Amino acid sequence: MTKKFNLFDPQYAARSWFIVFNSLFFILLMCVMIIPILKILSDSLVNETVYGLELWPKEFNLIAYKKIFTTESLIKPLGISVLTTLATTFFGLLISTLGAYVLIQKDMPGVKIFSTLLVFTMIFNGGLIPTFLVMKKIHLLNSLWAVILPMSMNVYNLVLMRSFFEQLPESLFEAAEIDGCTPMGIFYKIVLPLSKAALASIGLFFAVAAWSEYFHYVIYITSTDKYNFQYKLRDLFQDKQEADEGENINVNTLKSAAVIVSIVPFMFIYPFCQKYFMTGVTMGAVKE
Amino acid sequence: MANENGTGVDTRDANGRSRNLANREENMQNDIQTSAASTPTSRVAANDRIDYDKIVVKPPTIGQRAYKYRYFYLMAIPVLIILLIFYYWPMLGIRYAFSQYTFREIATQTGPNYSDLFVNFKFLVTRSAFRYAFANTLILSIVKLLLSTVVTVVIALMMNEIAHQWGKKFVQTVLYLPHFLSWVVAASIFMLILSAGTSAAEGDLSNVGFVNSILIKLHILKAPVDFLTSTKHWRGVWYIMNLWKETGWGTIIYMAALAGISPDLYEAAEIDGANRFQQTIHITLPSLMNTILVVFILNLAKVMNVFESVFVLYNSLVYSVADVIQTYTYRVGIVGNDYGYSTAIGLFKSVISLILVTISNKVSEKIRGYGIV
Repeated sequence: MTKKFNLFDPQYAARSWFIVFNSLFFILLMCVMIIPILKILSDSLVNETVYGLELWPKEFNLIAYKKIFTTESLIKPLGISVLTTLATTFFGLLISTLGAYVLIQKDMPGVKIFSTLLVFTMIFNGGLIPTFLVMKKIHLLNSLWAVILPMSMNVYNLVLMRSFFEQLPESLFEAAEIDGCTPMGIFYKIVLPLSKAALASIGLFFAVAAWSEYFHYVIYITSTDKYNFQYKLRDLFQDKQEADEGENINVNTLKSAAVIVSIVPFMFIYPFCQKYFMTGVTMGAVKE
Repeated sequence: MANENGTGVDTRDANGRSRNLANREENMQNDIQTSAASTPTSRVAANDRIDYDKIVVKPPTIGQRAYKYRYFYLMAIPVLIILLIFYYWPMLGIRYAFSQYTFREIATQTGPNYSDLFVNFKFLVTRSAFRYAFANTLILSIVKLLLSTVVTVVIALMMNEIAHQWGKKFVQTVLYLPHFLSWVVAASIFMLILSAGTSAAEGDLSNVGFVNSILIKLHILKAPVDFLTSTKHWRGVWYIMNLWKETGWGTIIYMAALAGISPDLYEAAEIDGANRFQQTIHITLPSLMNTILVVFILNLAKVMNVFESVFVLYNSLVYSVADVIQTYTYRVGIVGNDYGYSTAIGLFKSVISLILVTISNKVSEKIRGYGIV
């Protein structure tokens, strides 16, 4: 406490050793996390059959990326991915904020039923096949709405949004009400502007989930021009197509490049938005 | 006087009302006294005062309250519509679990056949594929749960010891990174780096994946192993993929709990002569125990939900160790078109999940005073 800690002071030998060990441990751990991604990145830039152990490309060959951005059957899924991500984020935020705003109205008759209806879906559901048959019945099969709408209704995010809204001071709502603001007006002019951090957090959750979505496409989408990039990526790995179109392109280079294209958007966004991602998690942990 | 229900009179409850009014009366009397003191000519007679006790304020009826909240019902409608269509309507479909509803019924358009209510459940008991799927679900997710709990807590504890703030932030950023990859991408990366290549010749590493190349260079392996098609290695790979993707992210919640431990405790321990390790064992771990338990319980409730991580990594060669209930449901229902049987499997899974969640909820209420749902 009194004496300043010094790494090379023999009095603190044990502590010093621990610090050295701890640092090495985390350097190693970071390597474990990063090397697989680095390896894929490096492989995506080398158009050779050899994987080898190199973690740095000997040459920079962008042929695989060129192929991804020029092949109709690969660029279209990328477009679908962007489209569904934007749509899911928009509808997801709409549904979550509306639902959460209704949930914080403690005096509203029926709000308990509403909340029970929502929470019950977290613990019980109809299951894969009944949901599939409903989709079939309402003619949403092979429509992108079958992916967007169910993903927009995420009860967990909605409950999280409610926790955020509950932190807003109630006196604000009262004051606005006295000034003659309608509930819609309060929602639009007070609740939403004051919840920018929450909207960012939960919007990012929706965006990541929508961008990564794969299974909904497997079940509900049947025509090839409506698959997203994740689906296409998976197709590449199941050796279904694309690889052999006469060009001198190595299958593994193409696969690696596709992986990189798929992870790049969020790799760029994530370091800047880490704060928002984390508030969501700790909020979820502390409150329900 | 502002209040929530906007009727102009505070009507929350009898006690609140009378307290409120009493206050108001007192204030008024004060006003009167002061005004009387300052202007002795003011004429305020006792009988001018309103007798508040005689005013009866009726609480608004449920209809009035509903009218007041009419816009909120409007806002709830889109949420309710999606909820009912995509969550509650499918629940009606659970009845198919008690019917014969296979490709034959679909082809002839006769609809589900309810002649034998338990036909699908008889299948459940007799088919070995289902038993495998059930056992694999439990093994995979419970081992993963135990592994990830231990690893995550240890890493969080060690991360907490990084004194350098910037270094800590950097480590965290890197460790959280894989969480943002989708399961498809994670599986793709693992397939690429674990590839065994296609060449049969020994010693030819020309298209062998990264991991196999390292293992051969280190003389741990003689020939490349295809980890993902070997029943011996598949589960190990799956556990590692899960740890790789989610461990870093899992530490967030523990880091938050660690930040909440009072520094006084450590100071006191230091004065008592405890070293850092003893402090970790006797202060940090016990303080963290609640969080560990809660996270464990929360994840225990999700034991049956293992799905996408398996779906993107498995293949027909490793069904015996990898097939889980949900992948089995998918193959039977969507691929095999046996709607009745797959709904029955789904129902079985949902019921077990429901029981697990209920238990977890009870335990969570015991531990931290409120449930998980």
